[in-house]
Amino acid sequence: MGRSDDFIQLKGTISEALPNATFRVKLETGHLILAHVSGRMRKNFIRLLPGDKVLVEISKYDPKKGRIIYRFSR
Amino acid sequence: MIIIKTEDEIKKMREAGRITGVILQEVAMMIKPGVSTLKLNEYAEKRTQELGAKPAFKNYPHPSGLIRYPASICISINEEVVHGIPSREKIIKEGDIVSLDFGVVKNGYYGDSALTVGVEPLDERKRELIEVTEKALYKGIAVAKPGARLSDISNAVQTYVESHGFGIVRDFTGHGIGSSLHEEPQIPNFGPPGKGPILQERMTMAIEPMVTMGDWRVTIKSDGWTAVTVDGLPSAHFEHTIVIRNGEAEILTKVE
Repeated sequence: MGRSDDFIQLKGTISEALPNATFRVKLETGHLILAHVSGRMRKNFIRLLPGDKVLVEISKYDPKKGRIIYRFSR
Repeated sequence: MIIIKTEDEIKKMREAGRITGVILQEVAMMIKPGVSTLKLNEYAEKRTQELGAKPAFKNYPHPSGLIRYPASICISINEEVVHGIPSREKIIKEGDIVSLDFGVVKNGYYGDSALTVGVEPLDERKRELIEVTEKALYKGIAVAKPGARLSDISNAVQTYVESHGFGIVRDFTGHGIGSSLHEEPQIPNFGPPGKGPILQERMTMAIEPMVTMGDWRVTIKSDGWTAVTVDGLPSAHFEHTIVIRNGEAEILTKVE
């Protein structure tokens, strides 16, 4: 998974649900990225819907993909 | 390629350096317990505008391309090494050591400088850390002469810092500077002497040792910018922009 300092955390909004627990997320910065749901969120059955505000962890080496690590309360 | 500057360019860099130095000193005077780092940023921004320059760090792109540096000055307190983002919640308190890193661009040329200030009452080891870091910078500047090799600077800094039992950060380096904030070459603060390009007249560079009280290893926080020491021990940072001229290094960001 790489070193923890290779990731930056940004807030965003789910814009589209895609197959296999992936989502299109619109970041606060305006970028649109593809993100999948972190294992811990799946384990705890955190459901995600378009419009949800989430926290995404993004590798600085591949800023087009990310991992959703938190859903802010609706 | 290391860009050799013309006399005219050096004149412009002297102006940018002077503004950088003046504002940095003024901001350093404002450091006292109870002041938020956002306040220091606002002041630096205001003064930059008054002196007809632009902040060099604002909107500097992150390597990922996703975000940009949100402020004009980097303020790194205690275990933060560099690139601390000013914030309303970050309040300076007694015993803190505060590193300020600041730069401006004026007429297309850059100045870049940093210093560390301790807030009294300061414990002795922290005071020593600040002193050693500043002296290490001057050790590096002293060997920056035409004919010397780039890594002679690196070695001078490292040798001095480690002789005092402190750690020298490897993850960030000094850099060439001119019509952009970061130019070639990178100037590491560690390594054997006698390697790298030969220094020449009218080269301009920013030398910036970052020194830690314990281990030199650092990690980046999830904001994507702030570098902190892994062991949580404090760190200090000094930097000057210099030009090699008439056989020696002239400091462009110094204020009397």
